[in-house]
Amino acid sequence: MIDIAIIGGGPAGQAAARQTLGAGLSTTMIDEQARPGGQILRQPPAAFAVKGWMAGRLYRPLRRLLAQTEADIRLDWRGGTSVAGIERIEDHFRLTLSGAHGGTLLARRVLIAAGCYDMPVAMPGWTLPGVMSAGAVQTLLKSQQVVAGQPIVLLGSHPLLLVLATQLLDAGAEVAAVLMPQTYGRMARAVLPYLAGAIFTPGPLIAAGAAMARLRRAGVPMMMGARPIGFTGDGRLEAVDYAWRGQVQRIAAQAAAVSYGFLPQSDLPRQIGAAVRWARPAGGWETVCDGAMRSSIPGLYVAGETTGVAGADAAMAEGEIAGIAMALDAGVRPPSGMARAQARRARLQPFIDLLRAAADPGEVWPQATPETLLCRCEDISVAQVEATMAQLSPMADASAVKHRCRIGMGLCQGRSCEHALVRRIAAARGCDPDAVTPFRMRFPARPIPIDEIIG
Amino acid sequence: MSRIADGVTRPAPITVEIDGAMVPAHPGETLAAVMIAAGAYRMRDDRSGAPRGLLCNMGTCSECFVWIAMDGAWRRRRACLTLVSEGLCIATQEGQP
Repeated sequence: MIDIAIIGGGPAGQAAARQTLGAGLSTTMIDEQARPGGQILRQPPAAFAVKGWMAGRLYRPLRRLLAQTEADIRLDWRGGTSVAGIERIEDHFRLTLSGAHGGTLLARRVLIAAGCYDMPVAMPGWTLPGVMSAGAVQTLLKSQQVVAGQPIVLLGSHPLLLVLATQLLDAGAEVAAVLMPQTYGRMARAVLPYLAGAIFTPGPLIAAGAAMARLRRAGVPMMMGARPIGFTGDGRLEAVDYAWRGQVQRIAAQAAAVSYGFLPQSDLPRQIGAAVRWARPAGGWETVCDGAMRSSIPGLYVAGETTGVAGADAAMAEGEIAGIAMALDAGVRPPSGMARAQARRARLQPFIDLLRAAADPGEVWPQATPETLLCRCEDISVAQVEATMAQLSPMADASAVKHRCRIGMGLCQGRSCEHALVRRIAAARGCDPDAVTPFRMRFPARPIPIDEIIG
Repeated sequence: MSRIADGVTRPAPITVEIDGAMVPAHPGETLAAVMIAAGAYRMRDDRSGAPRGLLCNMGTCSECFVWIAMDGAWRRRRACLTLVSEGLCIATQEGQP
């Protein structure tokens, strides 16, 4: 039995581990990637040498933390490993692991710092090979040093696309266009209330301005108010369609990077029954916690995007808070710094609110057609889901629709489609998405070979 | 080629087999990266026979399931989380080639 199991090797998990290891608690960190870093610092393979990797100034604190984590021989690092199950047994937890370090792991306390993922947004042609999430394109670049395809079109409401565009240009890729559905005026109105507060964390704002200047110099069309319609191609992506000043335009592309926001990874907290609430504005379920990152389950802590998507700096602060709280609750001599970490986290909030308002896909959501697949695993279309919902009572929850038409029953456990179904049910009922009961999250949280379970 | 050459040093290439074609790869690369670098965007077919490819590249969506020959049997694995090894045999349809 170990003291602390940390699920997720990103900034939140690393910051927590520094605290728990410093307090003398045995700590194991589990991540699906081979090396720590999370998605924000998804590392190249150990056998690669990459000059000037993630050298930007904004990444400096993250790189420092990562170097400290990798140098800490007290940490039991278990990369290449998925957490398929989490249960509470009496006063401890049992994790079921799959992959490089498969088996079970018993821990007195667990921190879920599992990050977030790109919100999958159903639109015509979105299942064509070559249409990827912005995160996929970015991690191929950062980690594997591979350009996902070119020419590449970047589209969606999230300003992360600006960062990705400059990273692609740095890699020598041909960026055909950046299509953002909101107009400059709409974005300016959305962020205005938060500008004054965000001025205390100007780094990302300056970076966004520099990115736009870089795109202009490179001649990449940055089109605000260009509404993506869908994707076309014979067997793979060939072109992106979008509406621009009332006209449908088509632009050739071998790859597309889509970003309308991010959803917290919520399957493990929900599997064990921790309280969650609908995340705003992008949706999905964030795990509820107190000011010390304690979830509603005694001994279970959450930090980083699991508690609501807020970026890597907030994740570092929350991880530190969680680590201190775990040491406090374990009754070992508490490390100092709780109030300082909480103040650091609070200072970031205005910028987080600004970014959420700027990226809000609410009014600029792309339209699916009846044939568009909503559930990519079970191949369930919008028309099938609508027909099923029409047969059921308006009060039917997500699981009732799932049982009738198989939406969300596939390998991804609903991670791709559940948010869209919850929004549809809420719209049909005229209620808030938070009032809709989502799918029950079941073991295994990741697709694992059956012989690993039955041994 | 879509592998970034500037400033990147990779270990000497190995060879993997994708749908019967010999494809170069570097140790440490994921199957998904190798397939995309080779222009092989299609990783599986859905029930209607429509092609599917990489979506999230972080093990979350399960869109990139491919078949891998392991210990005399075909096993399904997420291409984005599976690292290449010399002679690895990958198929985008079960039991093919």
